[in-house]
Amino acid sequence: MLRVSETMDPILARPFGISSIISKRSLELVYNTVGKGTNMLSRLEPGRMLDMLGPLGNGFSMPEKGEIPVLIAGGCGFPPLHFLSIKFARRKIKSHVFIGAKDRRHLPPPFIMNGFKKNLCSIHLATEDGSAGTRGLVTQLVSKSLQTTGTGDERRPVLYACGPRAMLAAVAALAAEHSVTCYVSMEERMACGMGACMGCAVPVRRGGYKRVCKDGPIFRAEEIAWSESDLTNPSSVAQCCSHAVDAIPS
Amino acid sequence: MSISKLKRKVDLSVEIAGIRLKNPVLTASGTFGYGQEYADFVDLNKLGGIIVKGISRTAIAGNPAPRIWETPSGMLNAIGLENPGIDVFLNEKLPYLRAFDTAVIVNIFGYSLDDYGEVAERLDGVPGISALEVNISCPNVKAGGMVFGTDLNATAALLTAVRKKTSLPLIAKLSPNVTDPVAFAKAAHDAGCDGLSLINTLLGMAIDVRTRKPRLANITGGLSGPAIRPVAVRIVWQVARAVPLPIIGMGGIVTAEDALEFMLAGASAVAIGTANFINPRAALDVLDGIESTMTEQGISEIRTIVGKVNIS
Repeated sequence: MLRVSETMDPILARPFGISSIISKRSLELVYNTVGKGTNMLSRLEPGRMLDMLGPLGNGFSMPEKGEIPVLIAGGCGFPPLHFLSIKFARRKIKSHVFIGAKDRRHLPPPFIMNGFKKNLCSIHLATEDGSAGTRGLVTQLVSKSLQTTGTGDERRPVLYACGPRAMLAAVAALAAEHSVTCYVSMEERMACGMGACMGCAVPVRRGGYKRVCKDGPIFRAEEIAWSESDLTNPSSVAQCCSHAVDAIPS
Repeated sequence: MSISKLKRKVDLSVEIAGIRLKNPVLTASGTFGYGQEYADFVDLNKLGGIIVKGISRTAIAGNPAPRIWETPSGMLNAIGLENPGIDVFLNEKLPYLRAFDTAVIVNIFGYSLDDYGEVAERLDGVPGISALEVNISCPNVKAGGMVFGTDLNATAALLTAVRKKTSLPLIAKLSPNVTDPVAFAKAAHDAGCDGLSLINTLLGMAIDVRTRKPRLANITGGLSGPAIRPVAVRIVWQVARAVPLPIIGMGGIVTAEDALEFMLAGASAVAIGTANFINPRAALDVLDGIESTMTEQGISEIRTIVGKVNIS
C-alpha cells in the first residue's frame, strides 16, 4: 500500500503489485495514470521518499513438477507477472507469457518486455486492433494455445493471470474447460490493505466473501464466484443494509 | 541527562461508563477488526482500549463490492456489517484479545429487539469484556426496516431491552443523521446506558458520472474521516452540555490535536477509526502526541481538560 500524498485528499494509500526488487530500500512499481492517486504519483519528483506498507497478502504458488507456467497479462496486469518471471528464471523455469493490449501503444514498456525475454519467457502478443501480435483478445490467443496442447510428453500448463476482472473470468473459464490449474491475481478497492476493514471483498463460490488484501490477492480461479450463477449457496450470502436504504454500518 | 530532558510523568487515565482506561485512546469499531490484523504493527498493550468490529447473533457475509469509495478527506463504506457471529467471537477472537493489557469493548448489533437482546445476554458475564457498545443504526426488520437509531421511540425501546439483558457497562453509539442528537442521548440516558459513543458515520452517496451508477453496491454508505470531524465535534459538544453521560468521541481523528479537540468539547475518551487505514500506528501516534502536549502545556491529568472548551 503506497501513500501517494501527505494530505487527506486523496486519503487512502494505493495498492500496487511489485514489478521487481531493485535493492533493500527500493522496489519497482509500474502503473497507469487512471485516477487521482496515480496522477499525483506521476507528478512527484524523482528522489522523493514515499511511505509504504508491505509486503502484504499472499503470492503465486510455484508450479508442480511437470507443469509449464503460462503467464497471462491484460491491461496493467503485467507487473506482478514480471516479478513472477524473475522468480521462475532464478529457478531456471521456462514459461510462456501471453500479453493482451488494446493496441501496440498500450503494450508493456520495453524494459518489461526485455525483462520477460531475459527471464526465459516465450512471448505471445495479442492486440485488439492487430497493430502488434495476433489480432484479438489475449484470452482468444490463450484458448487457441490450450487447444493445441497435446497430451503425452507435453508438460501440463498452469495458468497465472493478472488483469481486468472480465479477462480473469474468461481465463478461469478456459482453465475449467481444459482442467488446468489457474491462479488469478484479484483486485478490488482497498482501504486498510491489511484485512481489517473488509472493504476489498470478492465473492467466493461456497458463499460469502474473501479479502483481496489478506486472503489474496492470489486465488485459485475456481474459488472465485465470477458471476451470480457461480454461487453454490446463494442464500448464505446475507445482505445487511439492503434492508433499509438509510441504515449505516458499525 | 539534564532535568529538562526527563519526561514529566503525566496521568493519562480516564474513567468512562464505570471502566477505568489507562489512557483515553481507543480504536473504533469496524476499523481495527478484532485486533489480530494490526498486532504486527501496533503493540496492542499500549492502547487504552479496542472497540471490536460489530458482532451479531449469526454470521453475516456482508454486502457485495464495491464496499468502499474514497471521498475528499474521507471515505464511504457499505461493508454490510460482515462478521463471523458471536460463537466465533467467543471461541476465537476474544481469547486472542484477552492476552493483551487493553480494555475490550464489544460492539453489538441486530435486526430486531430479540437479536440485540440475545447477543447482549450471551456476552453478559463473559470475562475479558469491559463494556458493550450498542450500534443502534441498524434496520428493524420487524418494523419494515426502519432504522432504530433515527427513531426516538425505537431507540429508547432498543436500549431499554438491551439494558435488561446485561449488567456490563452499556455504551450507546448514536447516529448523527438525526435532527436532534441531544434527544437521542437523553433517551439513552433514560434507558440506563452508562456512556455514549459519538458519532457513527454520516449517511452519504457517490455516483460514477461515466457509468451513471452509484459507486457503492449498496447505493448509500457511511461517510467517515476528517471530512466529518466538525460534525462530530459539534454533536459531542451539544450532548456533553445537556446529558450527564461520559462520551467516547470519534469522527475523523487523525492527530493528537484532533483528539484534544474532542476532549475539550466534552469527550472523556476518543476512538480512532479511518486514520488506522492510512497509518496502522495512528492510535499510538495520537497517544504520544497527547502525552507531549500535556508535558508542554503543563497538564498533569488528562481528565481535567474534558469539556473545558472556553465559551465566554
